[in-house]
Amino acid sequence: MEVLHNTLVATALVSTPLLLAAMGGLINRQGGIVNIGLEANMLAGALAAVLVTWQTGNPFLGVLAAALAGTVIALPFSLVITRLGANEIIAGLGLNVLVAGLIGYLLPVALGVYGTFRPAGLQRLPRIDIPFVHDIPWIGPILSGKDPVTYLAWLLVPLIAAFLYRTTPGLRLRAAGSDLEAARAAGISAHRWRDLSTVLAGALAGIGGAQLSIGIVGLFGVGMIAGRGFIALAAFYFGAARPWPTAAAALLFGFFDAAQVRLQGQGIPVQLVQLLPYLVVVVTLTVVAITRARREGGVAVA
Amino acid sequence: MSVHASAERVARPRVVGGHLERTLWTLVPFGAALLAGALVLLLSGRDPLVTYALLVEQAFGGHIAIGNTLAQTTPVLFTGLATALAFRAGVFNVGVEGSLYLGAFAAAWVGFTFVGAPGPLLLLGAFGTAGLAGAAWSFLPGLLRARWRVDEVVTTLMLNFVAINLTSYLVNGPFLAVGTANSMSPLVDPAARLGSLIPPSQVSIGFVLALGMALGFGVVFGFTALGYELRVSGTSPRFAAASGISIFRVIVVAMLISGLIAGIAGAVQVLGVNGRFIDRFSPGYGFTGIAAALLGRNTALGCVLAALFFGALSNGSAMMQLFTDIPLDLVNVLSGTVMIFAVLDVARLRPRRLREAG
Repeated sequence: MEVLHNTLVATALVSTPLLLAAMGGLINRQGGIVNIGLEANMLAGALAAVLVTWQTGNPFLGVLAAALAGTVIALPFSLVITRLGANEIIAGLGLNVLVAGLIGYLLPVALGVYGTFRPAGLQRLPRIDIPFVHDIPWIGPILSGKDPVTYLAWLLVPLIAAFLYRTTPGLRLRAAGSDLEAARAAGISAHRWRDLSTVLAGALAGIGGAQLSIGIVGLFGVGMIAGRGFIALAAFYFGAARPWPTAAAALLFGFFDAAQVRLQGQGIPVQLVQLLPYLVVVVTLTVVAITRARREGGVAVA
Repeated sequence: MSVHASAERVARPRVVGGHLERTLWTLVPFGAALLAGALVLLLSGRDPLVTYALLVEQAFGGHIAIGNTLAQTTPVLFTGLATALAFRAGVFNVGVEGSLYLGAFAAAWVGFTFVGAPGPLLLLGAFGTAGLAGAAWSFLPGLLRARWRVDEVVTTLMLNFVAINLTSYLVNGPFLAVGTANSMSPLVDPAARLGSLIPPSQVSIGFVLALGMALGFGVVFGFTALGYELRVSGTSPRFAAASGISIFRVIVVAMLISGLIAGIAGAVQVLGVNGRFIDRFSPGYGFTGIAAALLGRNTALGCVLAALFFGALSNGSAMMQLFTDIPLDLVNVLSGTVMIFAVLDVARLRPRRLREAG
């Protein structure tokens, strides 16, 4: 019970980077692009947040900088796909390698540190207690006492759902994503909406990186994203690019993340917990595809 | 879906213009990478030309340097061929890294379990098991794609992380070497080790195997019915199906062979370089292999040249990092750029005048 409670208390905090990146990936997917480069956006965001917070002493400016960093990387990435016809999967994998390389190269050159940058006295995002909720026994600490970015991330879930399904821009974005030709015929400049969706994904993933660096750990490390961009990908695939199921998946994978730290030395191998999100997606996609094939009657061959 | 529409372009890069022009376009990603590297070097206050010259000298100056470059070339050549084979057949396999891990573990397991067995038998067993393990790992996404149209891009990508964590568990749990704090398997029987090709450098006879694999790749695609079926299915699946080729079989076979090659790559790394399975040993050979396949336009010779490029880059930068303060990460800047530029639609890059004329 004690371990479970501790895990649940940590879950909301460690879910946030996954949630933000997954919501970004979801918007991008609805906009017609499978974003494999979320990892790169998160890494850039994590670094930008640490640098700006270190220089200004204001973690909220750090979060803004992270959103900007994600955007700056996402725009050319999107243009390469929409205007120059690059394959989005390969370009995304390439972006991850390129950004990790750039940051790994420039960190020692510009700051004189290898791998980890931990400026002294780095401000962190404050933790906010929700009145009344905070005092509820057992449940209070699970919901309350998180950083503002975490609350913002959860607030975004219904907002993104409303944007995508209940507003005209949301409809246009989804139209641009589902059928390029039809969108064009309807007078929608599809490429622009696709680019916008990538930029939003970059900004959200960037903020996710910021929450990790200045919200949770209080430093920047070149390997700190550690596959979270791919877990976010797993989350929106698991959620079929719909906001609430995707958020639920991010929360579940966040729970795994929180659990594996606490299960060390308890006889449950950490690595087997770490591979769960990826396995869950493969199983989900398989089940969905088989169900679809059964429903359509007969078996689709290639 | 957009993923599959673009998968076709990976199988069949858009060709424009005449022979000379096509050759020149092939060099675009290569040039872009060197340019990106040069920019980063300039940004950090270094002379790009001097640095590149130093890099070449470190990669090729003397037989030990060349040997070490070939040692770095070997895994990338294998993973490049594994990727290129799948891409040629129109199957978007980005899971070579996963098969590599499974193959590496299988080879190590045979090597440290059947200690004392006759050398040739041990080697054969290790390579066979590694190939099987790699093929088995990629069989599942292949089957899922062929039978139920489960997007292989996502499944193969995800299974990489499953493989890395699964082998990490095996080598930290049941197969952790006794007396080691680090996460590695016991050493394999010395009889299962591959001999050095250019002592005392790191390159093993595994490099010759990789070259042989490239030759086999060229022969299969150039002269055999299987190669024809794979190629036709990759470039025009409808025509292939209409002419009686089973697309189901093509997808499964392509994934099996791709995984097999990746598994053998893992075996060569274990038996030729490390002597044991080491947790997370690959610095992304499977992903560099994608870059190599793209840079080499999915051809055997192209893969050899591209792998040599990445091998030289990796060895040259590692040596350079030893006595200058130029970080090894320069390699990733170049290979990331290669990947992005290799998938650009070259037709859209041509000046409008040429595009209209052609």
